[in-house]
Amino acid sequence: MSTTEIHVEDTGRGERRPGGGYQSPEGELAKKGKFELYSWLFMRVSGLLLIFMALYHLVWWNLMIGVEHLSAEVVLARWNNPLWRLFNIGLASFALLHGLNGARYSVEDYVRNPKTRHIVKMVLYTVVGLTLAWGVFALLTFDFTRGLRS
Amino acid sequence: MATEYRARSFSQGLRYKGNAGMWTWLLHRVTGLGILLFLIIHVADTALVVYRPDWYDHALDLYRSPLFRVAELGIFFAVMFHAFNGLRIIIQDFWPIAMLHQRRLAHVAIGMTAVLMLPVAWMMLAPLFGLADEPGTERARQRQLNGGVPVEASAAPAPVAPVSLEGAR
Repeated sequence: MSTTEIHVEDTGRGERRPGGGYQSPEGELAKKGKFELYSWLFMRVSGLLLIFMALYHLVWWNLMIGVEHLSAEVVLARWNNPLWRLFNIGLASFALLHGLNGARYSVEDYVRNPKTRHIVKMVLYTVVGLTLAWGVFALLTFDFTRGLRS
Repeated sequence: MATEYRARSFSQGLRYKGNAGMWTWLLHRVTGLGILLFLIIHVADTALVVYRPDWYDHALDLYRSPLFRVAELGIFFAVMFHAFNGLRIIIQDFWPIAMLHQRRLAHVAIGMTAVLMLPVAWMMLAPLFGLADEPGTERARQRQLNGGVPVEASAAPAPVAPVSLEGAR
């Protein structure tokens, strides 16, 4: 490939505009473009929710409970309340999906080779997907009759 | 002539004079990727609490090492900066007039993170140097008196401090 040749890549965001940004996609690209619109909206909505949920989570476990005093017993006692398990399912889902989409933006920006990009994305989706499944599975299969002594 | 605006090297990228806008953009990406990496580890080890509580307690020992205590502060900073800068991005997206003040808003996001980090850094690092109690020490003592049950999880009032503790000395 000569150095003057510009590699045009399909980012799924439609045509590049000369002034920057992307032309709104038409026809075949419209479907892909819709996905980008919804992912943009998801980042805003989940981000807004995460500001409250993640900061509450950090303040509670780091500044109210304290890492030195943390133990399986303390976590299990908390998870005895189904509402806190629901909160954790929501927090883990929003955070991991928000992070997955954010990482996808970075991969699309910096991994230039289409084949490499595809592989990196698949590894990313697999790792985050398995983590989310593992976390949510643990929260759902939790036996809430144990942990409390009363 | 083919025009290539893309910076060709890392140092060339850093020399781009984007000021607060550029640095917050970069920090937003870096903190975001850092949080995701931590999150994967954190979700995986916390899930252990259901299946192997003893392994979970073992993992916690690692989190209590001084190196991890400093790293936890780094995570706190990353989440807080990402939250405030993200809020700035949302405000600018949905309220276009805010774009005119984007540089000032970036400074506000950095400032709010810095101001809130001061007490947090004190609370999380002072116990390492013996300058203050670990956060939640009083709560942990109450929990111990309550038979291991967190005070907020039980309706029964915490028992009064046993007199035998004083007599043992």
